[in-house]
Amino acid sequence: MQVHKYDVVIIGAGGAGMRAAIESGQRARTAVLTKLYPTRSHTGAAQGGMCAALANVEEDNWEWHTFDTVKGGDYLVDQDAAEVMAKEAIDAVLDLEKMGLPFNRTPEGRIDQRRFGGHTRDHGKAPVRRACYAADRTGHMILQTLYQNCVKHNVEFFNEYYVLDLIMVEDEDGKKRPAGVVSYDLATGDVHVFQAKSIVFASGGCGKIFKTTSNAHTLTGDGMAIALRNGIPLEDMEFVQFHPTGLAGLGILVSEAARGEGGILRNSEGERFMERYAPTIKDLAPRDIVARSMANEVREGRGCGPNKDYVLLDLTHLEPAHIDAKLPDITEFARTYLGVEPYTEPVPVFPTAHYAMGGIPTNIEAEVYANSEETIPGLYAAGEVACVSVHGSNRLGTNSLLDINVFGKRAGISAAEYAQTADFLPIPEDAANRTLELLGMLRDGTGTEKVGAIRKELQDVMDTDMQVFRTADTIKNALNVIANLEERYKNISVQDKGKRFNLDLLEAVELGFLLELAKVMSVAALHRQESRGGHFREDFPNRDDEKFMKHSMVYLDPEAETESIAGLRFDTKPVIFTRYEPMERKY
Amino acid sequence: MASQKATEELNEPASKVELKSEAGGADAIPTYDITLQVRRYSPEISEEAHWDEFKLTMFGTDRVLDALHKVKWEIDGSLSFRRSCAHGICGSDAMRINGRNRLACKTLLKDLDLTKPITVEAIKGLPCEKDLIVDMEPFFQAYREVMPFLMNDGHEPERERYQSVEDRERFDDTTKCILCAACTSSCPVFWTDGQYFGPAAIVNAHRFIFDSRDDAGDMRLEILNDKEGVWRCRTTFNCTEACPRGIQITKAIAEVKQAIIARSL
Amino acid sequence: MATPLKAKVAAPRSNDNIVQGVKYNRSSSKRNNFEMVAWLFMRLSGVALVILIFGHLFVNLMTGEGVHRIDFGFVGGKLANPFWQVWDMLLLWLAMLHGTNGIRTIIDDYAQKDKTRAFLKVILFLASAFIILVGTLVIFTFDPCPTGAAAELLPSFCPAP
Repeated sequence: MQVHKYDVVIIGAGGAGMRAAIESGQRARTAVLTKLYPTRSHTGAAQGGMCAALANVEEDNWEWHTFDTVKGGDYLVDQDAAEVMAKEAIDAVLDLEKMGLPFNRTPEGRIDQRRFGGHTRDHGKAPVRRACYAADRTGHMILQTLYQNCVKHNVEFFNEYYVLDLIMVEDEDGKKRPAGVVSYDLATGDVHVFQAKSIVFASGGCGKIFKTTSNAHTLTGDGMAIALRNGIPLEDMEFVQFHPTGLAGLGILVSEAARGEGGILRNSEGERFMERYAPTIKDLAPRDIVARSMANEVREGRGCGPNKDYVLLDLTHLEPAHIDAKLPDITEFARTYLGVEPYTEPVPVFPTAHYAMGGIPTNIEAEVYANSEETIPGLYAAGEVACVSVHGSNRLGTNSLLDINVFGKRAGISAAEYAQTADFLPIPEDAANRTLELLGMLRDGTGTEKVGAIRKELQDVMDTDMQVFRTADTIKNALNVIANLEERYKNISVQDKGKRFNLDLLEAVELGFLLELAKVMSVAALHRQESRGGHFREDFPNRDDEKFMKHSMVYLDPEAETESIAGLRFDTKPVIFTRYEPMERKY
Repeated sequence: MASQKATEELNEPASKVELKSEAGGADAIPTYDITLQVRRYSPEISEEAHWDEFKLTMFGTDRVLDALHKVKWEIDGSLSFRRSCAHGICGSDAMRINGRNRLACKTLLKDLDLTKPITVEAIKGLPCEKDLIVDMEPFFQAYREVMPFLMNDGHEPERERYQSVEDRERFDDTTKCILCAACTSSCPVFWTDGQYFGPAAIVNAHRFIFDSRDDAGDMRLEILNDKEGVWRCRTTFNCTEACPRGIQITKAIAEVKQAIIARSL
Repeated sequence: MATPLKAKVAAPRSNDNIVQGVKYNRSSSKRNNFEMVAWLFMRLSGVALVILIFGHLFVNLMTGEGVHRIDFGFVGGKLANPFWQVWDMLLLWLAMLHGTNGIRTIIDDYAQKDKTRAFLKVILFLASAFIILVGTLVIFTFDPCPTGAAAELLPSFCPAP
């Protein structure tokens, strides 16, 4: 077993991780551990844009952006964080431009901006052009630009190192503090321990809990699950965003930019049904509302196709040249994967699991909370793995690219500054034992269960019972299935017994993470007896501010029980209000 | 300018239209049987590579990646390959499919000749580590050596640097690169000894050489004027044919050649 | 591209990258324009060769009685003319250099070891140099009127023996 020593260790090399690395790498000795080559990260799949009130094409200001974010998140947003994000959005975009990001330009040569769902002028009066973009490849450009700048600043990457555990030790006051991480080198199968003063989680989301998802195969919630297993709570896990327009049956993302550029949704009768659900901003309503409306159309028998199980995204009234200039990639997806020509035919779409609003709770300096009040010095999180919470119960389109840049930068600076003042904590002798045991158990197990089968059953039940519409019954059914799958997971074995590139083994580890997170997600969903943002309970269809205007926090605790599920402890954290009082959310 | 934009508001589309009866409507998805041949290599077991054959029943919308997953998840868990996003954005799963470099997630089975076995092997020219996994380090080494980042030594403006729509369009094609290595590992010149910079590195140099905001084009041109630089390109167009992003790579290389000559004259 | 070459910027070159015994660092410190000149030469000499070769073929095969009049006298006559001496010399040199450079690139592309490459190139360059030398010597020292030859075989300008 090898031990490495770095001031700062960053876990994950997506947008948030690399943004943090650029800041931290210039201030302290930094290592980035990533299970994928950095440019494989799923930030690259983001398409539409990154909002900032640059006011390059029309009047705008960051206060309106803050309001849209708070309202979009159905008021469960911590408003201090939303203010920070909207204010720093402008510099975040300008920083990227200076790093070389090739934004689309206005005729005057400034960064061009376009409309996006939920982003409005003057507190909801009309859609506003706020999203800075590079065709429908904004995420790709951000990922490439950040990687390019990591190359420029000679950031040290450990590619294909899976972080499997966090090392927490007790300091003099008996408080848990991070001392390092345990990682697995995919190429050799060796376990490496990284000792660090600061640790930043930037490992992304957990979309693979669901079957239909826009997420990559590798988004298995590793960071969230590792934090959970080390006594750190997870915040607001019941809130998952379902993106309205995934290619039907496949889940591949079709950007909201398609609607921002004028595309509209139609049901089997050819009706533009969003006029009924959101009369003011119609197809550009926030994602939770559009996704629910689509699911409702299908449920009421107005779906299209042989099984009436999707609706249509109509771009046929747009000029082909305009489509080519602004939406080249997504039209190609439609052609490649569905054989549909978007110039002349509407594209079949249906909601797809897209983004986890919840995650590791942090404050606006990206410091991780140990409970509802205290933070853990030296431990940071940013990006989808974190819950600041700027997204509340529903994230607005483009705000994730903003989140990774604003809070990634903050996490990098915080981590490096902390490392300059702190000392290394000793690594216990047995630090890697838990990981070695887990790997040994999975590799040498002689069980009969297969990873692929268990994962498929988990994803199927989550799609049926925990998607856009939820009730107590469906959630309880999901929890039952998960409990059963957890039992079967103990009897698992992998076929690949080797050490080199044993992806079979890693998939088994990831499945353990997925099962744990699915359970936390379902328990939190069962507890929240109201409908808010991405979480819609048919048995409680209204928002209930009196009882539920607070963040949920779920801990792993062998002695506790929540919603008759043993091993989990439930708590809440107050929502931070600054200037906006909760109102009814209408568009 | 705000007013100019405001006046060109889109015409509201009709709120109800007649849909063609078949609009977007796929019929029931057909299934078919395929034979998949995968070149296996696992130095822990044997120094020799061999071909494994799998018979699978797949759906009409399935891609080669789905077939590989079916093998890995249901038949042989030791089959190793990289993949992530599964829709042609991350660049993890470049491999040789029926002798051509393709992304497994962008190659639909129905587009291949299914009467014959489908062959899948690792990309060539990079050291094979296991099954379909190659060592990407030499590839990224070449990428790093062309200095693929913006260098501008002018005064840093408070706001964004201005760039005209035409200047932005000049290098648009080469910004699409996802570093999947399909091009570089399809190049016969690269296969010999792996010393040629390779199409991908040149594409990423091109992206900055022709960016009006960048001042270091000269340095990149000098690097690519090297013995292993653009002059080793024999314009076989393998790279252009292999690129899953449709980048006109051979054209980009030619533009870099011309820029080097123009700079010397 | 008008900006002057800047001094070395700290470019990110990780340490020597050696994978399975193969060194993958490409950037060498010595730089010159040889490969560019060679590349340009191939294009320009290619165009020149087309003109030279077709000119040569036209004069030899098409004009006058065409191929039937080619004999020692015809060739000797041409080689005594300074215009054709220069023409043939250009043809020889450009063709040889063009071909040699072509084979050099093929060796570079297909030889896998540096030693093999060096060996093949030495042979190639020696052979080319020899042919160019001998060919040039022939063009300029050719005697169109060897003594003791039958007069009907010689060019018309040869003095009667």
